[in-house]
Amino acid sequence: MSELRAATLGYAVLAATAIAYLVVYTTSLGHLPTPFDYLSLLNTSLPLVFVAIGQSLVVLTGGIDLSVGGMVGLGVAIVAAGSTSGAAVTAGWMLAAVGAGAACGAVNGLIVAKGRIAPILTTLATLSVYSGLALKVLPVPGGEISPAVRSVLTDPDVPTGLIWLGVAVAGWLVLRRTRFGMRVYAVGSDETAARAVGVPTVWVKVGVYALSGVCSGLAAVFYVSTTTSGDPNAGDSFILTSIAAVVVGGIAFAGGRGSALGAVAGAFALTLVIDVLFFAGIDPLYQSLFQGLFLVVAVLLGSLVRWRRA
Amino acid sequence: MTTLDTAKRVLAGPHRRVLYAFAAAATILVAGAVIHPGFGSWTSLRTMLVLASFIGFVGAGQMLVVLVGGIDLSMPWVLNGAAIVLTTSSLGQSGRLPLAVALALGVGAAVGLANGLGVAWLGVPAVVMTLGMNGVLQGLSLGLSKGLTCGSCASYAPEPLRRLVVGRLFGVPSELLLWAGVALFVTVLLTLTTFGRRVYAVGNNPRAAFLAGVGVRGVTVVLYMLSGVFAALAGITLVAYGGQPSLGLGDPYLFESIAAVVVGGVSILGGRGHYVGVVAGSVTLVAIVTLLQAERVPEYGRNVIYGLVILAILFTYGRERADD
Repeated sequence: MSELRAATLGYAVLAATAIAYLVVYTTSLGHLPTPFDYLSLLNTSLPLVFVAIGQSLVVLTGGIDLSVGGMVGLGVAIVAAGSTSGAAVTAGWMLAAVGAGAACGAVNGLIVAKGRIAPILTTLATLSVYSGLALKVLPVPGGEISPAVRSVLTDPDVPTGLIWLGVAVAGWLVLRRTRFGMRVYAVGSDETAARAVGVPTVWVKVGVYALSGVCSGLAAVFYVSTTTSGDPNAGDSFILTSIAAVVVGGIAFAGGRGSALGAVAGAFALTLVIDVLFFAGIDPLYQSLFQGLFLVVAVLLGSLVRWRRA
Repeated sequence: MTTLDTAKRVLAGPHRRVLYAFAAAATILVAGAVIHPGFGSWTSLRTMLVLASFIGFVGAGQMLVVLVGGIDLSMPWVLNGAAIVLTTSSLGQSGRLPLAVALALGVGAAVGLANGLGVAWLGVPAVVMTLGMNGVLQGLSLGLSKGLTCGSCASYAPEPLRRLVVGRLFGVPSELLLWAGVALFVTVLLTLTTFGRRVYAVGNNPRAAFLAGVGVRGVTVVLYMLSGVFAALAGITLVAYGGQPSLGLGDPYLFESIAAVVVGGVSILGGRGHYVGVVAGSVTLVAIVTLLQAERVPEYGRNVIYGLVILAILFTYGRERADD
C-alpha cells in the first residue's frame, strides 16, 4: 500500500478541517489567516505531532501506549527543572529528557514483549510510575527556557518549526523503508507468521516502545519551548489526543495497517478543530463535545469509505 | 482425596486467578496491619470498604465490557454527568429523589446504548467509540451546567441518599449492602443465566458464538448499557458520599476501573473472569493507597509505588500465555 493511500483518511479529515478553519476565520475576522496564525498553529501542534508518531509505531504493532502521558510529563519536568541556566545547559537537559523517554519506553517494551503483559495494562501501570517520577523532578509547575533555545525550536516569528516537522516526516519515511520498519508492519499484521519467518518480534516491540518514548521526549522539548515553562502534569492530555490522532489518521487498531503520516495529519486536524470552534463562537465549555463527535464521525466516515471500496 | 489435592485442583482450574486476587488483597491488608497500627481496625476497614465500593461499581461495568473484549473509556464523564444530573434534578428535596435517581441511571443507560450501537452495529472500535462519547458527555456536562455554576448546581444530595453512606443496617453501612447487592446481581447474571453463558461465549470467540446462534450484537449492546448504568451508580453514590458533585469527579475512576478488573484476575482479552475477583481487586487498590497515605509517603512516591505494585501483581497472575 502506498504511503498516500495509507494516510488518505488523515489527509481528508485534515483538508476538511482546514477548509472549515479558513471559512470560520474569514467570516469572523473579515480577512484570511495571517502568517502568524499559521505559525502559532504549527508550533502548538508540534508536541502532539511527535507523540502521535510514537503512538502510531506502537499501534502498528497491535499495541497501545498509555504511558506517553507520564513520559511527556517526565520530559517536561527534566527540561523545565534543568533549564534555569544558559542555552548549552538547556540543550544538555533536553537530550537528557529524550534519553529518559527512550529508557522509559524500552522498559515498557521489555515488560510487554518479555513479560507478556498486555500493552494497555503495562503502560497503565508505568504511566503511574513515570508520572510519579515527573512529580519528583518538578514538584510544582515552573522553570523557564532561554530565548536562544526558543528561537531555534519554535521561533514565534520565523517558521523554524517547519524544519523540525520536515525532519520528523523525513525520519518516518526513512524508518518505514528500513528493515526495522518492515518488521514493525510484519509484527502488526501477523505476529506468529512474523516469528516463523525469523523476525525477532521481542526486539521489534522493544524498539517501537523505545521510539515512542523518544518521541514523547521530543514532544516534551517542544512543549516547554512553546509554553516557555514546565508543568509535571503536562503530559496527561496527550494520552487521549495521541490515540485520537492515530485513529483519525486511519491507522488500524488491530495493527499492521496505516501510516504515521496519517497520524501527523490527524494531530494537526485535532489542533485545528479547537480554533475552528473558537472562531465559530462556540462556548469553550462545549469544546470536548465537538471533539468527541469529530472523533467518532471521522472514524465512521473512514469505515464507510472502506465499505464502498470493498 | 486430601485437602492438598483439592487445593491443587482449584489452583489449576478457572478460579485460580480469583484466588490470587484474594491472596493479593489479603497480603496488602496483613502487611498494612503489621506496618501501621490501627490499619486493620474495623473503623479503618469500614472506611476502606466504602471507598472500594465506588471502584467496585465502575469495576462491575468495566468488567462486563472487558469480558467481551471491549473497553469503556466513557466512564469518567458518565459518572460525573450522572452525579450532576442527580443533584440538579433533585434540588436537595427528598420527594424528587426517585425521579432524580432514575434520570441519572437513565443517562448512563442512554450513553451505554450509544456506545453499544456504535461498537456492535457500526463497527467503531470500542476505544474510539467510548473515548468519543466521553468527550461528548464532558462537553454536555460542562456546557449545560455552565461549568457547574448554574443556579441549581449548588444543591446538595437529598438527605435519604446521604444516609446511604452514613446510615447503618444491621451495623453495616448501607452502601456496603448496596455493593453486596450489585455483586450478587452481577455474579448471578454471569454464572446462572443463559445471558451469562452467552457473554463468556462471545468473549472467548465471537465468531463461534455467532455461528452457535448467539445474538452477539444484542449481548454487546446490553453489556455497554449495563456499564453505563454502573458508572452512573458510582456517580450517584459518590454524591451521596461527598454531598455535592465536582468537575473531574470521575477522572480517577477510569484507570481505577481497569486496574480493579485486571487485579481481580479478569483477562483483558475477554472471556475469563469473575466479579468476586473484581471485589478483591477494588479492596487491594484502596488498601495500597490508604497504606501509602497512612505512612505519609509523598505524592510522587505514592504514584511510583502504586504503579510498581500493580506491575508486580500483573507479573504474578496477569501474564498472557507464551505462544512460542
